[in-house]
Amino acid sequence: MIVSLEQAGLAYDGGGEILTDVNFTLGEGEFRFLTGPSGAGKTTFLKLIYLALRPTSGRMTLFGEDVTDAPREALPPLRRRIGVVFQEFRLLDHLTAFENVALPMKVTGVNQNQYREDVRELLNWVGLGSRMDARPATLSGGEKQRVALARALVSKPDLILADEPTGNVDPVMGEKIMKLFVELNKLGAAVIVATHDLQLVDALGKKTMRLEMGRLLEEASPPSRKRRA
Amino acid sequence: MNSLTGLSGGIEETRRSDAPVAEHRFGKGRGQLLPRFSRAPLFPEAGSGGAPLTALIAVISSLAALSLAAFILIAVAAGQWTSDLKSSVTVQVKGSDIEEINARTEIAKGVLSGVSDVIGYEVINSDDAGKLLEPWLGKGNTNGLNVPALIELKITPAARTRITDLARRLSEASPGLVLDDHSEWNGRLAAAARSGQALAFAIFCLIMGAASAISIFAARAGLAANSEVVALLHLVGATDSFIANEVQRRFTLIGLRGSALGTLAALFILALMALATRTRGSDAGFLPRFAFGPELAVALLLVPLAICLVTAVAARLTVLKTLGETY
Repeated sequence: MIVSLEQAGLAYDGGGEILTDVNFTLGEGEFRFLTGPSGAGKTTFLKLIYLALRPTSGRMTLFGEDVTDAPREALPPLRRRIGVVFQEFRLLDHLTAFENVALPMKVTGVNQNQYREDVRELLNWVGLGSRMDARPATLSGGEKQRVALARALVSKPDLILADEPTGNVDPVMGEKIMKLFVELNKLGAAVIVATHDLQLVDALGKKTMRLEMGRLLEEASPPSRKRRA
Repeated sequence: MNSLTGLSGGIEETRRSDAPVAEHRFGKGRGQLLPRFSRAPLFPEAGSGGAPLTALIAVISSLAALSLAAFILIAVAAGQWTSDLKSSVTVQVKGSDIEEINARTEIAKGVLSGVSDVIGYEVINSDDAGKLLEPWLGKGNTNGLNVPALIELKITPAARTRITDLARRLSEASPGLVLDDHSEWNGRLAAAARSGQALAFAIFCLIMGAASAISIFAARAGLAANSEVVALLHLVGATDSFIANEVQRRFTLIGLRGSALGTLAALFILALMALATRTRGSDAGFLPRFAFGPELAVALLLVPLAICLVTAVAARLTVLKTLGETY
């Protein structure tokens, strides 16, 4: 099991619950779309999974390890098995495209010689082979997202999370990126993509779950969602 | 995902990617790429105030070097003074006129010749002793003062324990012969030197404390300014120790740059002081010689290392503590 949440809830100090009684499992090689209105808790849900936050109630396991109350030192090895793509890219502006993509390898202490070719190939593969030394400020939105994508993939993650990955790119690039997630899923990575783009979700025909007011209400395939609509 | 091999041609090709997943060849062309990952700092330069912090560390280092130099120079000077005083005693030969002083001087020489503890002596007659007072009284103003003659004795170290016997023998030989073993002056000098050294060391410690406090504030400010970077580093699997290493590396470099500049500035100031004391002429015989000895050289070399160590360790501990509390 990649992710398991049992009656998980999350509340900020002095505030209401952002997530309430979430029950969710994601097995190896599974693909899920996560939809829901703005403010429903999609980003918080993903933050919980990539361990930026921890549940304040219930239980959570990641790659078979209970992380509900795991010590800080136990988290980095788990985070290295997750690749995350954000709507706002979250690239380091003072580093080049190459250095941004190589970041997950650098923090693990791997020698540059061991990953240099992987980074180069990934950047070529996302169509940025000629822009390896470019800083993010000189890249377009689509190019930035492709750098962010390469960064998420460089450590060959078992789980890929994407938070509105098509939000800041044009529709054509958005479609390419979504198809890429499907392709990565075929290679064995479990994938969760949070998105507002229901057209793309329907077009790809993958399992979908919906968050509303912090509750994971349903887990349905596109046809049933269509019927309700 | 165990491998990325198998990805189709690339994101540019996904428009026609109904095509089957094709082999993606990793490893081809290895070695064609020049090293692209320089030791680029993960925290941007502006984050922890590179240039202002370097300047601040330079000032701190300069003050630390000067206080340490003061500590060493006082120790060296006090050592010179006290060792000179310990190895010699002085006989004052007083009298109502020059003739009496000269007569008593002869008596004293006779006594001293029979004492085995006296290695040698040098007589400074009344006129020459008067010249020693000229810097204070003015040239020619000592005539007719009947300044006591002085006999400087070089004695064996063991003679110090029998100094009262010698004093008694001299006073018995003539009432105007007074033995001064400088012990009172020596004690005052040693106490003053100890106070000066303690003050210099206290200032040095305070300055090192200030360097540590500056590092702590700068590291906290740097982390706060780079919270997005820290969050991203955690996201991609960085440990707190990795982040602390990055910050520590940065502070070590800033510490090295700043302390090297500061120590050079301190050396320049010390050189000016040495030049000033060297050109003081006759005063140089009375005042201790300001010189760059090996102790001072070693101490000044240690200042940049100590500043680096303090700034780097303070920054590292601050980062680890802040990450544990905040992130």
